[in-house]
Amino acid sequence: MESKFTEMYQKEPAEEKDGACEQVADMLDSVVDGEASAEQQTFFNSHIEECVTCFENHQKQKLLKSLISGHLKRVIVPASLAQTIKAKIQESI
Amino acid sequence: MSEQTGKQLSKEEKDARFEAELLPVLDPLYNFAYRLTLDEDDANDLVQETYLKAYRFFDYFEQGTNAKAWLFRILKNSFINEFRKKSKQPAKVDYSEVEGYYNTDDVEGENGVATTTDMRSESVQDLIGDEVASALNTLPVDFRTVIILCDLEGFTYEEMAKILDIPIGTVRSRLHRARNSLKEKLEKYAKTMGYNS
Repeated sequence: MESKFTEMYQKEPAEEKDGACEQVADMLDSVVDGEASAEQQTFFNSHIEECVTCFENHQKQKLLKSLISGHLKRVIVPASLAQTIKAKIQESI
Repeated sequence: MSEQTGKQLSKEEKDARFEAELLPVLDPLYNFAYRLTLDEDDANDLVQETYLKAYRFFDYFEQGTNAKAWLFRILKNSFINEFRKKSKQPAKVDYSEVEGYYNTDDVEGENGVATTTDMRSESVQDLIGDEVASALNTLPVDFRTVIILCDLEGFTYEEMAKILDIPIGTVRSRLHRARNSLKEKLEKYAKTMGYNS
C-alpha cells in the first residue's frame, strides 16, 4: 500500500507537488472539522490519493481530533448543582 | 429581527422555559468551565454565575436558537471579565512544571513501559485519556478553549467565532496553532511509549 503511494508520489513533478501540498496542508483543519467546501474536499481527496505525505498528515490530524473527542474524560456534574442554581435564581428575584 | 417573547411570559412560564431550554446544557457547560478553570469548585462557581446571568437576560434569548452557544458565550465572558482574576488557577501556564512533567516521562519511557502493551486494554485507554488531558491542560487557555469547543463540543467555526467574539479567520488560525502545539506534546509522549511518528 505504502510503496504504491510512494511510487506515485515520486512521479509527481516537484513544483506541482509542493504547491498542491501547501494548499492541502492549509485545508487540513477544515477537512477534519467538516468545514471544507465541496470543491476543496474534492481537491483534497484526489491529492491524498496520490501523495503519501499528505495522506499521512491527514491520518495524524484525524487521530488527534479523535483523541480529544474519544479519550478525554468528561467530568461529572455535582448532583446538587442544578438544584443550587434553581435555588439561587429564586433568591435573586 | 429578534423576537423577545420572554417579555410577555409570566414568571412560571419563564421558569419553565428556562429549565427546559437552558438546564439541559448543564453537563457540557460544567465540563467547559472545568477545562477552563481546571478546578471543580471554580467550575461550580462559574457555572452558577453563568446561569444567574442567563436568567437575568433570558428575555433577550431568542427561543429556538442555539441555547448551548448562548450559554457558552456568557460563561466565556464571565471567565475572562471576572473569574480569571480571582481564579486559583493561574491563567498563564507554568512552563517549568510542564517541562518537569515531560522530562519525567522521558525517563520512565526508557525502562518502564513494555513494548508489548495492549493498546485495547481499559487501563491503556485510561492512560491515553489522562495523557491527552494533561497535554491539553498545559496549553494556554485560548488554545485550550478552541480545541474544547471544536473537538469536544462539536461547535462549528461560525459558532465558535460568535462564542469567542473573534473573526472566523482567527478561529481557524488559533485552532491550527493549538493543534500543532498539542500534537507536539503528544508526539513526545508517543515516543516514550515506543511509537515513532
